[in-house]
Amino acid sequence: MSLVALSELLGAAVRDASGTVRGRVREIAVAPQDHPTRIAYLIVRTSDGERVVPPDALKSAGRSVRAANEMSQWMRYTPSDGVLLLKRDLLDQQIIDVHGRKVVRVNDVELESTPINAHLLLNVVSVDVGARGAIRRLSKGIVPSFTLRALLARIPPRVIPWEYVDLLVTDPARRVKLKIAYDGLAKLHPADIADIVEDLAPAEREAVFETIDEEVAAEALEEIDPDIQVSIVESLDKDRAADIVEEMDPDAAADLLGDLPEEQSGEILKEMQPEERQEVSQLLEFGERTAAGRMTTEFVAVSDTALVDHAIEALKTFEGSREALATIYLTGPGQKLVGSVPLVKIAITSPAVQLSEISESPVSCAPDTPQSEVAALFDKYNLITLAVIDEHGRLAGIITADDVISMLRHSH
Amino acid sequence: MTFFKGWRTRLALVLAVVGPGFITANVDNDAGGIATYSVAGAQFGYTLLWTMIPITVALVIVQEMSARMGAVTGKGLSDLIREEFGLRATFVLMLALVVTNFGNIASEFAGVASSFELFGVSRYIVVPLAAAVVWAIVVHGTYGSIEKVFLSASAFYICYIVSGVLAHPDWKAAALSTVTRPESAGFRNYGYVSMIVGLAGTTIAPWMQFYLQASIVEKGVTVRQYKASRLDVVIGCLFAAIVAWFIVVACAATLHTVGKYNIVTADEAALALRPLAGEYAYLLFAAGLFNASLFAACILPISTAYAVCEGLGLESGLDKRFEEAPAFYWLYTALIVIGAGVVLVPRFPLFRIMVLSQVVNGILLPFVLIFVISLINDSELMGSHTNSRWYNVISWFTVGIMIALTIAMVIAQGRG
Repeated sequence: MSLVALSELLGAAVRDASGTVRGRVREIAVAPQDHPTRIAYLIVRTSDGERVVPPDALKSAGRSVRAANEMSQWMRYTPSDGVLLLKRDLLDQQIIDVHGRKVVRVNDVELESTPINAHLLLNVVSVDVGARGAIRRLSKGIVPSFTLRALLARIPPRVIPWEYVDLLVTDPARRVKLKIAYDGLAKLHPADIADIVEDLAPAEREAVFETIDEEVAAEALEEIDPDIQVSIVESLDKDRAADIVEEMDPDAAADLLGDLPEEQSGEILKEMQPEERQEVSQLLEFGERTAAGRMTTEFVAVSDTALVDHAIEALKTFEGSREALATIYLTGPGQKLVGSVPLVKIAITSPAVQLSEISESPVSCAPDTPQSEVAALFDKYNLITLAVIDEHGRLAGIITADDVISMLRHSH
Repeated sequence: MTFFKGWRTRLALVLAVVGPGFITANVDNDAGGIATYSVAGAQFGYTLLWTMIPITVALVIVQEMSARMGAVTGKGLSDLIREEFGLRATFVLMLALVVTNFGNIASEFAGVASSFELFGVSRYIVVPLAAAVVWAIVVHGTYGSIEKVFLSASAFYICYIVSGVLAHPDWKAAALSTVTRPESAGFRNYGYVSMIVGLAGTTIAPWMQFYLQASIVEKGVTVRQYKASRLDVVIGCLFAAIVAWFIVVACAATLHTVGKYNIVTADEAALALRPLAGEYAYLLFAAGLFNASLFAACILPISTAYAVCEGLGLESGLDKRFEEAPAFYWLYTALIVIGAGVVLVPRFPLFRIMVLSQVVNGILLPFVLIFVISLINDSELMGSHTNSRWYNVISWFTVGIMIALTIAMVIAQGRG
């Protein structure tokens, strides 16, 4: 078992079974459909066109490559979309380092060669993004190889294991063939995904948002700089954009759609599910800097005659954000807001107690309350959530403390 | 009403993307540029003004391609060169860029020094101060705030226009020689031809392509806003050309008229202007030189740091903190400290360094321009935004002439 660098293999002389040099390595291909890390074949440029040599026909692979068979047994190379060409697709390109949570540029690729019976097994193990790979490539053919090896051994490696690498492929069809799903990226915290996406070029951002799960995409999108949010949503097709916007918090979705040109936000709204559409378009009608513009319409409200048990049931089926769970609102006849119960009280009260017995008088404001007054209310009453009620005293939505924090940060 | 609204949104669109093109074109009129235009005016009067139009056209074409690439791909020029042409080509290119930009930076600080020496202030006070200001502006600012500082500095170039007016030129003669074909007799004069080469060489420089594309990307200009961005480039180039025109005219109307041909630098030009055009023209000329030098001293190190770090895959960007992008900020700091430092070393062969950097500049330019044209015609990269056929003809023509001129300049400089 030994490590060999892609840059060493590229250009290496390839000998056939008789020991005659037949050509040089031009490319190295991985077929992700068959195996995610295994080298499918080397593309060898010979005097008689390009040929492919699979590793199981190889005796050794390093600075020179030795095949176990004759050139006549090497198949002709036909280009295919479904293979990953390490030089073209990886070398010098940017990738996402899922472990380090950033975008980096590939200086070299490390392969592991394992002899099995009479042939080789070649696997991609890591990409080199540090000085070692860069110096190896810059001095290739200039510095004698033994000096170079001694020099390189002194440089601490900066490599990313292959399983933490997400490739950036902008062509959707090719992405499917290469099985690129941004699984690693999607597992990161939405705020980290947002940071990474902000570092990418527009086409690559689009690729990520076309591919990852809608829910993850929605959460990440909420964390992205508003200007970039707009350009990402504009680049997606309307169906996909609507799917993602649906999953966003209605207030964040409304902010985003408010920043889009009217024509486009209209098209996206049209594609959305009726329920979400109604919530978001209500929010859109209010000014962004008012209580209504900041509120979310996803909250927990139960009748004041209900028991604590019912409230717990309502909590279990609630699909909105966690922040909104902090308070359970109580409604009386005509959906009027009559009380509120903090989550803590639900937790410490026996399930058979009627909610009206533990109710507190709710703090609320009108939809057109300016956001500065909203912040003042949070401060004065030490709120976690604030109810927004319409002219009939009905609960229209709630504002959560995290919205107030980001509102305050952005107004400075 | 709809007309008004349309006009207003259009203006807002333009203002949202204005900046990169305007700034880049103006920095082009740096200490070296002002010196060249002054010498051209002093030696040849109005007879070189005809070069302004073709040079401006060439500048617009070359800049437009970089801006378009930035908007379409969202990547910097050195990023693209790295991805398409590999590490080795990028590394050599970046090395050459550092060398030539270092020479330019030193000459900007020399410009700062000589402009203040005109007012009797020692360079040992001004240059360290200027270096500190340059460093702090960029390191402590964000992209938006820095752009505002730079845009204000661009406006300050009006100094030269006023100074040109104060020189009371013969407007009719100046205007006529701008638009008429030059007399062929002039081309037999070696000095005249080498001046044309100098003018072209000082106007189109490799760093501009890198800086413009990088700032378009950092500003987040996209294909949809590109039309407004193109306007930014064109207006910037026009304004820069007008400023250059006034510098030539100011020196032509005064120095050339009285036979003072033998100036070499911009501060000499300012001094010579004093008795001829008056105190105000002199002051404005000197203040303009200071502004231009300081402005370019701000931009060149940052542009170099951007290009090198992008190309070599190191973290870069003004929006990152020092700890996030150490190589970026260190390179930037070193260029400023050493660039300003050499101006303060007594008997330092600054002039030789500048000549060397001009030669490297000349060698680098053809490669950069050829890379730009081949990248912009790569349909995999640019989609439908590659050059059209006629645009390619014009740009190859422009690039061909630029290459021929720079080779001529390098050879001339090599001869000494």
